[in-house]
Amino acid sequence: MKKNIRKRIIKDKQMYLLLFPVILFFIIWNYVPMWGARIAFQDVMYIGANKWAGLSHFKMLFSSPVFLKVFINTIIISSMKMFLIFPLPIILAFMLNEVSSHHFRKTVQSVIYLPHFLSWVVIAGLFISLLASPDGVVNQIRIFFHLEPISYMTSTRHIRWIFVFSEIWRSIGWDSILYIAAINSIAPVLYEAATIDGATPFQQALNITLPAIVPTIITVFILNLGFFMNAGFDQVFNMMNDAVINHVDIIDTYVYRVGLMQGNYSLGTAAGLFKGIIGLVLILSTDKLSRKVTGEGVW
Amino acid sequence: MSIKSHGIGHYIIIAVLAAGSLVLVYPLYNQLVISLTGTEYISQASGTSIIPYGFTLSTYKTVLAIPKVARGVFNSILITSVGLVINIVFTSMGAYVLTKRDLVGRSFFITMIIITMIFEGGLIPDYFLMRKLHLLNSYWSVILYKAINPYYLIILMRFFDRVPASLIEAARIDGYNETKILFKIVIPVSVAGIATVSLFYGVFHWNEYFRAMIYLTNEAKYPLQVVLRELLISAEKASFIGSMNFLKVTAAAQLDIKAIKAALIIISIIPILAFYPFVLKYFVKGRLEGSVKE
Repeated sequence: MKKNIRKRIIKDKQMYLLLFPVILFFIIWNYVPMWGARIAFQDVMYIGANKWAGLSHFKMLFSSPVFLKVFINTIIISSMKMFLIFPLPIILAFMLNEVSSHHFRKTVQSVIYLPHFLSWVVIAGLFISLLASPDGVVNQIRIFFHLEPISYMTSTRHIRWIFVFSEIWRSIGWDSILYIAAINSIAPVLYEAATIDGATPFQQALNITLPAIVPTIITVFILNLGFFMNAGFDQVFNMMNDAVINHVDIIDTYVYRVGLMQGNYSLGTAAGLFKGIIGLVLILSTDKLSRKVTGEGVW
Repeated sequence: MSIKSHGIGHYIIIAVLAAGSLVLVYPLYNQLVISLTGTEYISQASGTSIIPYGFTLSTYKTVLAIPKVARGVFNSILITSVGLVINIVFTSMGAYVLTKRDLVGRSFFITMIIITMIFEGGLIPDYFLMRKLHLLNSYWSVILYKAINPYYLIILMRFFDRVPASLIEAARIDGYNETKILFKIVIPVSVAGIATVSLFYGVFHWNEYFRAMIYLTNEAKYPLQVVLRELLISAEKASFIGSMNFLKVTAAAQLDIKAIKAALIIISIIPILAFYPFVLKYFVKGRLEGSVKE
């Protein structure tokens, strides 16, 4: 048996040669930083080796009111996005399924996928201009109805909603692809039979389409749950400003600002690690959940 | 689905979808209009402009002549193209080897790759690594950073999986070595897969701004997105002074900041718009391949 394995390895030596640089890439760019994250448990020294500091940075983190605020913001922003946005691509897929003109459907699809490919820098720029006071289109409409223009981007009441709307703008189309594919794989004969039986389009959607895509819905929801701690760094980073920072600062922006910019490397890494560990626990438990509910794991 | 009754509901859905699509493209369209509006009308241009009065391309000419912007375009093209070649070569090498089911250690390597999808060292260790490798302020930092994306590797594996084993076997009998099989047979017959993954990587590089911002210290090396961010976002906040300084040195000083911003947005998305219609089906395919079990 041992000999057999060695024989197989020798036979595949060219394969391992090809794989070697790939694995090396992962070790350098992914595993070395994981090992580097141990500075969360150290004091960074400018001269000589770092000193072990135990959990002191984590203690500092958890007793910091700023970090508490940041943690709560992460959960609020993430929950808003997760629960408010989640049904929209499903509804969109249902609507597209009802369209009989192939051309119209294709046109709508190519339009709504586009925003997914724009960078958050561009999207933030678009929304800043869209919501500008008084020039942006939203405030122009308000002025038309004799309402006071609002400076949305600097309004603590509105900024989180702007996150929700810009996220919808960017991903409603893209996120609907999975549901559209699931709907397309439903056998047309089911609809034909239902039509003959006199079922209305609405009844068909409810009794044929919906049950057929429930597994997809569950899988996507579970997967989203696994990535719950990612509240959207690029979005927040590009849309935040000093007026709203207390309402939008999330763990990722905290790591950048306090950790990297202000040079609190250990504290920043500890915050990142804390988020990473919660994320890991979430993903592993959602994987378990997924196996239980759908019979298949996330991976 | 051929027999669909065209009741009132059908028309409501069509109307909602049409209106929704218009709302979705409007912000981009509005920027296009503003960027094409003539200098004499620009002060009236706003979020409700739908026709470019005094149509002109001069804003684009002026914006592209700003040294920072021109360099940004050049840097972005450089980073995207070099990065793309490296991404594709190494991702396909990995995908090819890991598609071989009886490879000793295969599941170990796959697990090792999957772990990187769910846990990472984080921003600060990444930065320290770049510093230690003396890559800070080098184009290589942005090009090489996470050069192989595990998601795209898995997408490519699914495409490579479909290459007929007989084809590979025949090549082996003909005396092809594995490298030759990969580059001469597997990659050429997996055009759709390579296109999909190239597009994902291409968009990633083109849109990348954050790592460039923190790794590159020399502004002459900034890609377009970082320049864009400076003007669109940072300038919006408090002071226009920084950006106004750089505008002073060019003819752009007379241009309205609105028009400059709009033109920059459009310039930055032109490559995406240019490729978009041709590659849409690949993107959609990739989205499905990359999804968890269908």
